[in-house]
Amino acid sequence: MITNEIKEKIRAVVGPENALDSNLDLFGYSYDSSFIPLLPANKPDFVVRPLTTAEVAEVMKIAYANDIPVTPRGAASGRTGGSVPLAGGIALSLDRMTNVIELDEPNMMITVEPGVRTIDLYNLCAEKGLFYPPDPASWKFSTIGGNVAENAGGMRAVKYGVTTNYVMGLEVVLADGTILNTGGKALKNVTGYNLTSLFTGSEGTLGIITKIILRLIPMPKVRNTLQLMFPSLDEACSTIHKMLQSGVVPAAAELMDKIGLQAVARTRKLDIDPNTEACVVIEIDADDEAGLDKQAQQIDVIAHEFNVTEVRIAKSFQESEDIWAIRRGLSSAVGAMAPTRFGEDISVPRSEFPEMVRRIRKISEKHNLVIAVYGHAGDGNLHPSVLCDLTVPGEEERVHKAVDEIFAEALAVGGTLSGEHGIGITKRAYITDALGEAGVNALKAVKRAFDPKGLLNPGKIW
Amino acid sequence: MKDDKKEKLLQEVRSIVSQCDRCGSCLPVCPLFREKDVEASSARGKNNIARALIQGGLELTPDVLSAVNFCLLCRACVDICPSKIKTDEAMMSVRQHFADKQGGASIKYKAMGGMLKSRPLVKLASGSLKVLRKIGLNRLIPGGMIPDQYTRKQFLAAFAGPAALAGPAPASTVSLSPETKVAYFQGCGMRMMFPDAVSDTLAILQTVTKPAVVDNLCCGLPHVAHGLREEFLEMAKENMRLFANADVIVSDCASCSGTLKHIAGYFKDDPAWKDRAAEFSAKIMDLTEYLVKAGYQPRLRTNATLTFHEPCHLGRGQGIKNQPRELLKAAGNYVEMSGADTCCGGAGSFHIDYPDISAGILDKKRKNIEKTGAQIVVTECPVCLVQMNKAAEKSGGKFRAMHISQVI
Repeated sequence: MITNEIKEKIRAVVGPENALDSNLDLFGYSYDSSFIPLLPANKPDFVVRPLTTAEVAEVMKIAYANDIPVTPRGAASGRTGGSVPLAGGIALSLDRMTNVIELDEPNMMITVEPGVRTIDLYNLCAEKGLFYPPDPASWKFSTIGGNVAENAGGMRAVKYGVTTNYVMGLEVVLADGTILNTGGKALKNVTGYNLTSLFTGSEGTLGIITKIILRLIPMPKVRNTLQLMFPSLDEACSTIHKMLQSGVVPAAAELMDKIGLQAVARTRKLDIDPNTEACVVIEIDADDEAGLDKQAQQIDVIAHEFNVTEVRIAKSFQESEDIWAIRRGLSSAVGAMAPTRFGEDISVPRSEFPEMVRRIRKISEKHNLVIAVYGHAGDGNLHPSVLCDLTVPGEEERVHKAVDEIFAEALAVGGTLSGEHGIGITKRAYITDALGEAGVNALKAVKRAFDPKGLLNPGKIW
Repeated sequence: MKDDKKEKLLQEVRSIVSQCDRCGSCLPVCPLFREKDVEASSARGKNNIARALIQGGLELTPDVLSAVNFCLLCRACVDICPSKIKTDEAMMSVRQHFADKQGGASIKYKAMGGMLKSRPLVKLASGSLKVLRKIGLNRLIPGGMIPDQYTRKQFLAAFAGPAALAGPAPASTVSLSPETKVAYFQGCGMRMMFPDAVSDTLAILQTVTKPAVVDNLCCGLPHVAHGLREEFLEMAKENMRLFANADVIVSDCASCSGTLKHIAGYFKDDPAWKDRAAEFSAKIMDLTEYLVKAGYQPRLRTNATLTFHEPCHLGRGQGIKNQPRELLKAAGNYVEMSGADTCCGGAGSFHIDYPDISAGILDKKRKNIEKTGAQIVVTECPVCLVQMNKAAEKSGGKFRAMHISQVI
């Protein structure tokens, strides 16, 4: 509960039109893109939409003085419940903070507010020949603030890394309203603890990110796409490993299993050989066409060492798009196979990718559930999709068991619970298995140091 | 029986909105979310409101009704959605559900629906508008509902004088069989507001066929969109009867042709009408779709710079994107505007219900039109044309708005 007096104070800070408390609006800010049930709704008591860092700081001071929980939110496109206001209180929506503060070309850095959409940021940099590589699947609608808070990954991670590899500095409003600046534009910086890294991926539990300095790289001049078909998953993975060891680093290497591939084939009316067990879509980039051709040839040679049945090298932009359409259409094609889909986000050492898929197959047979597997084979990040119909008696229990076992196996092969979606609400039950008691205690100690009252995004991570 | 229907309606909504996994793809493309960026304005917001309504998380309150009414039905969200969730259909069904619960649609929509259902009233309105326009009183009517008409005569006088580069366009080569019986479906908006464009449509059709003019009823979109589904179905049946003899039914209104093409879906569970409805919908063609298929070539190539505002019900509604542009490229200097397929904010009666939001959306459209340097913005829907006229006026004469029939 937030009293009317407190609401008035907050309205005075952000303006009455940016502080919402109708039942309908509270409902609108109760969900994200995770499979946490829509109902009963996790409604906040107040939706607050500040425009400036100063407003965020004022709102936090009021919240801190009155012990009101605060859950930050960008586009609510997260997959694990990070922006769901589990304890009510304030849903702090940062989507109005959309200023690009500076594009510093000589230093190749950009400073932005958290509400800027990742694609807008990418396009702005691209106009200047600069490249911001992280491309989570949601990059056309998610905000950079959310990407930083969740340390989002994407398809280009195999060559270019994930969000944290580009975050140089942050402005963060702490629980009590203090404004903290971390890092900066100096490329070499060992002054004090690396708080920038700590806040990146902190899922809104340590502070409110209000400004972000990102490092950029030169935009690759040319790109092309390849599609490889394999009779086995192992051979597909071996091809990718051999490529990386040989110094042929693709900008993306996406693998999909037979279930996913056939699902796309059905929705897109493609004819795909039923003996194909795995399809790999590879993006390569280079300075010139000769560089592209060389990489394509090297990939072709390596793939043939591992019994590739088809190598398709796009000959036009349109053909590139056609190949990518297979990968882009995958998630919804798989989703359409059943009423409910539990999409997971485990990450394993690259070499364990085929073993992990084999273990998922066993789990699938054991619990009689269809599980499609696809993911970023180049970096070991897999997205098993458990397909189910929760109206079938007993199915929900089997799904939960299967998901538990997938997590257990991921940890057993040396992997972890989440590659790029975060822990949020949906994976917190497994956090001790992944980090151990000592690990979780260390996280809690950090949390206490920054947020002694436990007001920031309560109920997340553990 | 009534409860059955209610249950069916809710089932329809449930099967659509339960597919939404709330990813947020639709947020950047929703024209309303761009104007009013709170969650409830977005497609994701509305789909989940509908879902909560069905599952018991929200009650049928006036603000919920406002939320489902606050939708342009433009399908920009459907286009971008990875699961192709039909937000427009879900919103129409929820509106119907509200109307059923409250014992009918709101008085405003009932009045509008009743008027459009009656041929004599539509004709009467058409006549009065003509008089008002003639004596210049149309400018006093709010909402731009009686826009100025820039006629083909005025257009030719301006752009096809001795300075015009090209001569007459090559003769048409009709590829449809000469026996094909073509009928013209006259939309209410076209009839009431743009009678000159209707004459041009008929003149064009007469160059390639012998169009039958049928005194048809309204296509029913205003009804089905606002909780008057029974009236919509009734009129659809009458229209099916009226056009029973036609092989092809052509409309120069994107909303009419789009709606008529979808009639089959509304009768799919009605054994008595299912086949007739499917046959009827299959006969419907949009004007440009028909003209391109019939091999029509524009009567004249002018030196006017043209741009096209693509009606939602044409591009996303029927997948007709190339045909109007192809015709316009042959009729003048064609320039594509950015965001040509973004809703203009007209959306049936939306621009009357939400004038400020609609004006905001239209302003973005106007800027995009101005950027092309086009002298004429062309479209193919009377409500879009009303909006384009408003934009033209606001631009202070930088461009004019015309129906495609007046240009090609």
